Amino acid sequence: MSLTRMGATALVTLLAGVAIAATVSSGSILGRLTQAVIYAIFALGVGVLLKQNGLVSFGHALFFGAAGYGMGVVLSLGWMPAEWALLAVLAAIGVLAFGIGLVIVRVPGIAFGMLTLAIGQMAYLLASRARGITGGADGMSVPWPDTLFGLPQSLLLKPATLFLIAWVLLVLVTVALLLILRTRFGAITEAVRDNEERARFIGIQTTVPRAAVYALSAVVTGIAGLLSSFNAGFISPENLHWSVSAITLLMVVVGGFKKPIGPIVGAVVYFLFKDLLGEHATHSMALFGAALIAVILFSPDGLVGLMERAARRLTQRLTQRTSRPSRTPTRPDSAGAALASPTAPEQRT
Amino acid sequence: MKHASNFVLEARDVAIHYGGIKALDGVDLTLARGQIRGLIGPNGAGKSTVIDAITGRRPLTRGSVRLMDEDVSHLGAVDRRRRGLSRSFQRTSIFGGMTVRKQVELASHKMGVRDSVADAEAVLEELDLARLGNAIAEDLGYGEQRRLDLALALVGRPQVLMLDEPMAGLSVQESHDLAGHLQALTSRWNVSVLLVEHDMDVVFGISHAITVFELGRVIASGDPTEVRANPRVREAYLGSAA
Repeated sequence: MSLTRMGATALVTLLAGVAIAATVSSGSILGRLTQAVIYAIFALGVGVLLKQNGLVSFGHALFFGAAGYGMGVVLSLGWMPAEWALLAVLAAIGVLAFGIGLVIVRVPGIAFGMLTLAIGQMAYLLASRARGITGGADGMSVPWPDTLFGLPQSLLLKPATLFLIAWVLLVLVTVALLLILRTRFGAITEAVRDNEERARFIGIQTTVPRAAVYALSAVVTGIAGLLSSFNAGFISPENLHWSVSAITLLMVVVGGFKKPIGPIVGAVVYFLFKDLLGEHATHSMALFGAALIAVILFSPDGLVGLMERAARRLTQRLTQRTSRPSRTPTRPDSAGAALASPTAPEQRT
Repeated sequence: MKHASNFVLEARDVAIHYGGIKALDGVDLTLARGQIRGLIGPNGAGKSTVIDAITGRRPLTRGSVRLMDEDVSHLGAVDRRRRGLSRSFQRTSIFGGMTVRKQVELASHKMGVRDSVADAEAVLEELDLARLGNAIAEDLGYGEQRRLDLALALVGRPQVLMLDEPMAGLSVQESHDLAGHLQALTSRWNVSVLLVEHDMDVVFGISHAITVFELGRVIASGDPTEVRANPRVREAYLGSAA
């Protein structure tokens, strides 16, 4: 995708968000949309790890929850203004993830997934037990200030504003990821993912780029975690639980991880599923699980891959239809007339 | 006083032992500039191991490797590659999910070439891959993937190119084409080639010199006519009808 096209798409998407915020008047619908967008950002983080490193994380809830807890602790202790705390928490998550990544990205395949699960569950237990700092199993409220970036909290917490903030962040994060992955760094991580030994032989140090991708995915997940804690004003160990990581991973697989739009589609589909089920929403995981099986069996590259194939087929059909010779005979004995004949082999499809 | 060698590559008394097993034992190999040296021998004779030893993929038990008169025995694989010692692998080793041009350009950049775009383009042109520059590597045909493998080894204009069965799995025509590319490289780019290959027609057709391995040792070395006439080689490898 060219930079111009990317910019235009981002602008149109931003305007679409403004239109949604302006036209949807129901606070509950906007609230659910906001939650879907927050999880879309979370899924983007998990997706970029899968796309660039080829690694599956069962423990990204660690960074989702850690962002909320980090903010809660920093604001409770009054260490710094909230605006700086946002950046500090994200930076800390990036550094922490990079450190963890340097150790665990060396481990391939399922063992990597198990390590992420173990680390995530350690954080879950730690948050559940460290009552003095985290409030233990009851969780803690995040004391957001009355004004943030000069804007009153009452305005920021309005459903339409909150949705718009989440939407803008989703677009910015997506564009940022696309730009980062277009750089040499993106090419290096792709090379390491595709063929680590060959990558080493062309002079690529293979651990650091993979740890950097892990850190990048953690920071993206941290942005979602910050939004979630602002939205709820509260954080509990449930945000760190492995099931949160698993649901997000399902979103990524169902949507498709090869393009950044895939995890976003997965998140939207998941929340639509839950909404459409209404009072039967308790069974949503079973049905989403069935959808996951169907996707893995019939479209391993997710719903986005399926849509792309359908669009390609449609385009081909339309192109074939428009490129067919005219049925209007010119001269009865001409070659054109013969080709235009209904019995001509080229016409039989 | 430093002795100036006539050879681009000199491997002396190279040995790789795994416990009591001698995968290589006292191997001497030289390559002159622009020379193609074929390495032949039965499976398990040590041909691929000698490439691993020279490129630094496996540590030496004994011996030395000199490139352009510099002892590179203590260097790792990447440093040897940067100094001009390049290789391809027995199995096609490319970056399947990337475009042809992107990966060749990346390899060139990582080799420290200042104008990596131009270097990549030159390599792609040389191997007739420029028209496939925007194709995803895993979508290429097998022969094209083998040439891409060779392209990755060629960026940064290496002094020595070691090819481990580059013709494996290729059709007769593709093998013929690749052999043509190798000959052109030695004459136009002045690259020296160490060629491990089972296709005897190719090896005897394009090599200036041939070294025959058996059980980790060199049993014969010389120009193709000499080697073909060597009774021990005929008995051990080529067969009496050769």
